[in-house]
Amino acid sequence: MGTAVTHAPATEGRAKDPEPRHGPDTSPRPADLKRRGRRENLAGYLFMSPWIAGFLLLTAGPMAASLYFAFTDYNLFDAPRWIGLDNFSEMFGDPRWRHSVRVTLWYVIVGTPVKLLVALGVALLLAQKRRGQAFYRAAFYAPSLIGASVSVAIVWKAIFSDDAVVDRTQKVFGIDAGGWTGDPDLIIYSLVALTVWQFGAPMVIFLAGLKQVPRELYEAADVDGAGRLRQFWNITLPMISPVLFFNVLLETIHSFQIFSSAYIVGGGAGGNACGPADGSMVYTCYLYVQGFENSRMGLASAMAWMLLVAVALVTAVLFWSQKRWVHYEEGGR
Amino acid sequence: MQQGKGVERRTVLKAAGASLAVTGLGATATACGGGSGSGDGTVTIRYAWWGAEDRAQRINKTIDLFEKKFPKIKVKTDFQPYPDFWKKFNTQASGGNPPDVFQNAIGFLRKYDAKNVLLDLKEQVKAGNLRMEGFRAGLDRFGEIDGKLLGVPVGSNSMALVIDKPVYARAGITPEMGWTWDDFDEAMARVRDRTGRAGDSGMYGVMYLYDLYLRQNGKAFFTEDGLGFTEADLTQWWTKAEKGVRSGLFADPKKVAQIKPKSALSAELAGSEFTWDNFTVRYTSEGKSEYGLAPIPTTDGKRTGQYLGSLMLSASRRTQHPVEVATFIDFMVHDPEVATIMGYDRGVPATTAQYEAYRPTDPVNKAIAAYEESLVKAGVLEPITPHPNGADICEAAFLRIGEELGLGKRSVSDAVEQFFNESKTALSS
Repeated sequence: MGTAVTHAPATEGRAKDPEPRHGPDTSPRPADLKRRGRRENLAGYLFMSPWIAGFLLLTAGPMAASLYFAFTDYNLFDAPRWIGLDNFSEMFGDPRWRHSVRVTLWYVIVGTPVKLLVALGVALLLAQKRRGQAFYRAAFYAPSLIGASVSVAIVWKAIFSDDAVVDRTQKVFGIDAGGWTGDPDLIIYSLVALTVWQFGAPMVIFLAGLKQVPRELYEAADVDGAGRLRQFWNITLPMISPVLFFNVLLETIHSFQIFSSAYIVGGGAGGNACGPADGSMVYTCYLYVQGFENSRMGLASAMAWMLLVAVALVTAVLFWSQKRWVHYEEGGR
Repeated sequence: MQQGKGVERRTVLKAAGASLAVTGLGATATACGGGSGSGDGTVTIRYAWWGAEDRAQRINKTIDLFEKKFPKIKVKTDFQPYPDFWKKFNTQASGGNPPDVFQNAIGFLRKYDAKNVLLDLKEQVKAGNLRMEGFRAGLDRFGEIDGKLLGVPVGSNSMALVIDKPVYARAGITPEMGWTWDDFDEAMARVRDRTGRAGDSGMYGVMYLYDLYLRQNGKAFFTEDGLGFTEADLTQWWTKAEKGVRSGLFADPKKVAQIKPKSALSAELAGSEFTWDNFTVRYTSEGKSEYGLAPIPTTDGKRTGQYLGSLMLSASRRTQHPVEVATFIDFMVHDPEVATIMGYDRGVPATTAQYEAYRPTDPVNKAIAAYEESLVKAGVLEPITPHPNGADICEAAFLRIGEELGLGKRSVSDAVEQFFNESKTALSS
C-alpha cells in the first residue's frame, strides 16, 4: 500500500533524530491518533445508532413534545394552541386533581413502608441457613416478576370483587363488607395488597445486603451480651442502611408511577375509569382520563411534568436525608 | 494494520447501514399498514362497534351475508365494550386512522363533526349508493346535523322504566301511561315497604332520564352549545335523590357499585330501573326474574318528554372507499335478512323493510315492540333536543358525580358545583 512509501521519509528523519534513546517510536503521530479516534468514535456511534434512534424518537422526542404540549390547549385533533401556564393553574384549582394527589400520596405513604417492612422481615428469615431456602427465596420472589402484569391485575380484581374469595372469607368471620373493588373506601387497600404482595424484589436486595454484614460484628456483640433486638438495631440496620436507602428510593419512585393495576382493578365496570367514586383514582389514572377520555392532551402533559417534578423533589429530599441515617463503610465514619 | 482497520470500518458501516435500513423499512411497513386495496379490485373496509360477544356473533353473521352478496368487498371487524370503544376510536381518529365505518350515537355526532372525522353521506345518497327512504318514525333525519348526513340509524329505542314484574305485582302497582312523579314516588315507597327491596336502582345519575324530566318542564339537558338547566334545577333533582337514598327508596349505591358489572335490577337490589327499552333483553339473560316495560312518569299527566334514540352507522371522512362504505351501510339498514339475524339487539329496526322482516316471537322482544308502538299511539314522542360537542363527557360526569352523591362522598351543593364546573370545561373545548 502507498502508505509505506509515504512514511519512508519520516522513518529516515527519525533515524537522524538527535535523541534516539527513546527507542523505536511505534505510536502513530497525533494527527493519526486523532483520525483513528474519530473513526473509532464513529464506529461506536454507529453501533449505538439503533439505541440512539430509539432514544431520540421514542423517548427524548416525545418528552420534548410533551413539555411543549404542557403549555398548550391540545385536543389531539386540532393544532395545539399556546396558553402559557393555564393548564397548571387549572390543575391546582381542580378538586378532582387534588383528590388524585391525595389518593396517590396515601398509596405511596402506606404501601411503600409496608412492602419494605415485609421484604425486610422475610429477608431476615431467609438469611439464616435452613432447609429449602432456595425454594422459599424463589417462591417469594416470583410475584415480583409477574406482579406488574395486566393478567395479575385482572386476577386481583377477581379475587377482591363481590362474592369472590376475599368477600366469602370475610363473610365466614361475620364481616359483610362486600367486594373491595366496588367499595370506594376499600378499593385502595386491594391495590396496597397487590404492591405488598410483590415484596420479592426488595427482599432479594435486602438479602444481598444482609450477606454483606461481617459475622465478626455479631460475634463481638454476642460476647458483649447484646440481645437479638439490640444486634438488629445497632448492627444489622446501620450495616444495611445503604441497601435500605436504595430500596426506599426505588420503591417510592415506583409507587408514584402506579397505573396499570389501579386502572384495571378499578376500571371496567360502569364507565368509571378508576374505581367507584374515584376510590382508586391515582395520579396517573387521572392523567389518563384527562388525556384519553376527555381528549385534553395539553392538560395531561402538564400533569405528567408535574409528576416528574414531584418525584424529583421527593428523590432529592431522600438523598438529602441519607446523610442522617445511611452509613457507608468507607469514609462515612 | 491500516488495511485491517479499513475493512473493519466498512463492515461496521455496512452493519449499521443495514440496521438503519431495517428500522427504516419497519417504519415504512407500519405506515403502509393502512392500505387496503389489492390488485384484483377487492376492497377491504374496517368496521368497528361497541357491544358484547352476543352482539359480535350476530354482526359477524350479517357480515358473512354481506360478503357473499358483495364478494369484492371484505370487512375487517373490531369491537370493544362501550367506554373502551370510544377511547380506542378517539385515539385512532386523532392519529388519522379511524375505522371506515363504525357504530355511533347521537351524543357523538357533533363532537366528531367538529373534529372533521365524520363523512357527510349526502353525496353517497345522491349517487344512489345509500337509500334514505323507507325509514320509520322520521328516523331518516336522526343523523342529520347542520344539513349534513353524519349517521344512518340502524334501530330505534326509547327510555323506559324497566320493572321486575313479580316485584311490582307483589307491591300491587300497575304503572299506566300518564302516571305522575308523585305516583312514582308512592310506588317506590310501596315496593320498599312490601317487598323489602329498593324501588329504583339510582335514577338520579341517568342523564337521559333527567333530560326527559327537564323536557316535561319545557327545558332540556342540552342546548345547542351548553346546558339547558340551572344549578337550582339540579339542586332540586339531587336533593330529592339524597333523600331517596337515605330513606331506602333508591338502592344502596355502595351495593350497586359492588355488584357491577351486573345491574342492580337483575341483582335484585331494586324493583325497577330507568334505562333504554332494549335493555330488557340483557336483564332477562342476566337475572332470574321476569322483566317488563313501564311508561315514564310525567309532570302534567301527559307529556313524557320521550323521543326515539338510536344507534347509527357513521363513516370516516378519511375512508378511501366511500362507495363501498355506503353500500355496506345501505345493506345493513335495508336488507331484511340482516333484521332476522340482529333482532332487537340494537333497538327496533329503523327501516320498515327490516321492521316487517323481523317479528319477535319471544315475550321480551314482543314487549319492546309493543312498548314503542304504545308510545307512537299515545303521541308522546317529540323531536330530540341537541347534543353539543362534549355531551358524552357531561353524561359520564353526571353519572359519576350522581354516584358520589349517593355514596355520601359529596353534598348536594358540592355535587352540583362539581358537575357544572366539569360540564363547562367539556362543552367549551
